[in-house]
Amino acid sequence: MTPTTFHHTLEIRDLTVRAGGTEILSGVNADLRCGEVTALVGPNGAGKTTLLLAILRLVPFTGEIRFCRAAEHGKGAPRIGYVPQRLDFDRNAPMTVLDFFALSSQRYPVIFGHSARSRRSAKESLAHGGASHLISRPLGKLSGGELQRVLLALALRDNPDILLLDEPVSGVDLSGEELFFDFLGQIHSESRFSLLLVSHDLSVVSRHADRVICLNRRVVCQGATTETLTPENIAAMYGSGAHLFSHGPAGGHGRLHGPSPPRRAGGKED
Amino acid sequence: MVESLLAPLFSAMGRVLPFGFAEPLFMKRAILAMLLVAPAAAAVGVPLVHFRMAFFSDAIGHSAFTGVAIGVLLGVHPLLTMVAFGLFVAWAITLVKGRTELSPDTVIGVFFSTVIALGIAIISAQKGLTRNLQAYLYGDLLAVSETEILWMAVLFLSVGAYLFLTFNKIMLLGVHEGFAKSMGIPVRALEISFALVVALVVSTAIRAVGILLVTALLVVPAAAARNVARGAVSAFWAAVAIAVISGLSGIAASYYLDTATGATVVLFAAAFFAATALLRGIRGKH
Repeated sequence: MTPTTFHHTLEIRDLTVRAGGTEILSGVNADLRCGEVTALVGPNGAGKTTLLLAILRLVPFTGEIRFCRAAEHGKGAPRIGYVPQRLDFDRNAPMTVLDFFALSSQRYPVIFGHSARSRRSAKESLAHGGASHLISRPLGKLSGGELQRVLLALALRDNPDILLLDEPVSGVDLSGEELFFDFLGQIHSESRFSLLLVSHDLSVVSRHADRVICLNRRVVCQGATTETLTPENIAAMYGSGAHLFSHGPAGGHGRLHGPSPPRRAGGKED
Repeated sequence: MVESLLAPLFSAMGRVLPFGFAEPLFMKRAILAMLLVAPAAAAVGVPLVHFRMAFFSDAIGHSAFTGVAIGVLLGVHPLLTMVAFGLFVAWAITLVKGRTELSPDTVIGVFFSTVIALGIAIISAQKGLTRNLQAYLYGDLLAVSETEILWMAVLFLSVGAYLFLTFNKIMLLGVHEGFAKSMGIPVRALEISFALVVALVVSTAIRAVGILLVTALLVVPAAAARNVARGAVSAFWAAVAIAVISGLSGIAASYYLDTATGATVVLFAAAFFAATALLRGIRGKH
């Protein structure tokens, strides 16, 4: 491993997030390498979503989050694309997928209709994401998989330097999950953004990630996927013993091994 | 000066609305006030419902009660203290909401009751204030002055300008905060400014329908519109249209039935809600 040859897009130094007197994240040091897929894993309540929110500067923190852009990417702040774990919006909201795209691509209010430019860019992005047929559907009536496709298409529309995906396949069935990751891999090989992927599912991580950051309020370990996901590290991260790897009912941790065990619906992340 | 500004408008209204109810000058004033307040309230109501802020708007409406009491206590015009106090409460709720882990409705509930308690304490100490409050509790559209109409016109234009600049960002924020932030939207500034605009609209609309019903003017047209609309364009304009039609029909009906104007307007809006809900049921799920 020769880290110096890699360019970092994101450097996190001594990051601490407090809420209500407790430390949700303490002293986190981590890097995101340019063009790589980095997985962020850890148990429920480990602070994975909080780390993403800190990167988006949505929660107050101490420490430093530095964005570094390679010269060839131009100057200025990097563009961050973000796909949240769940959209906690009103499912009856009168908003079509096209409305949703236009909200962020046209200056005048969507109540006066959609500009030709926003309509075209929505069509292109959706076509790219294999979701053209969804353009006039109400956003709230999409299935979990369809919604993730739309969100991903929107996050990719503005060519982000960094893409943050928070549990992108929660609420998606197994075949939908495979489709999603195939598609993501294809897009990633075309545009080489840096991807930070939050996942519970270590089998997904081992198949798709170059590097892993194991988080449980602090960084337990990080490094190349195959070297990092050792039984010892996993045990340290999830704070329990070797029973994690026994087959059979193992409580909430049963999903750590094997090919994509069924996940709980609506799993909640802090 | 105000009279000379509005006189040509009133004579034009006489020609457009050649009905008995629109003849008296106080009815013309009431209609004009409603035509300014109802669309502004409905327009703000669309993002308000999207944000699930109906309870917030209710709390601001009830804070007007205390605002009026403070005005009488200090010897200032109650309208001024009502608007100022409404803005203060909106700002305070938004600030506290952002800094605590309590759920928004808990924060609003605490403010709601505190503010009402303060209002009741002031009123109980000041004899003779109760009569003054009636007009604010039930609304007094028929007594609206021409200066107030001008203020409503200013509000109408300001709300229009504000929504023109922020509507898209507000709707994105309503879908997901982090998502909006990743799109470069100034989340906190937008939240506070929207809360203040809601407070302005609510305190102005109280003149029309009263403290008890003011939230209805914001929420019911938007709620009725989303029963039938699929997209943002139709939802917005349907809400505005429902508000204007309910406003005018309510004023007309209250003239002939001798009922409270504000309540009659809200009943018409509620009828629209019932009708659209039925329509949605007949059409089945989208």
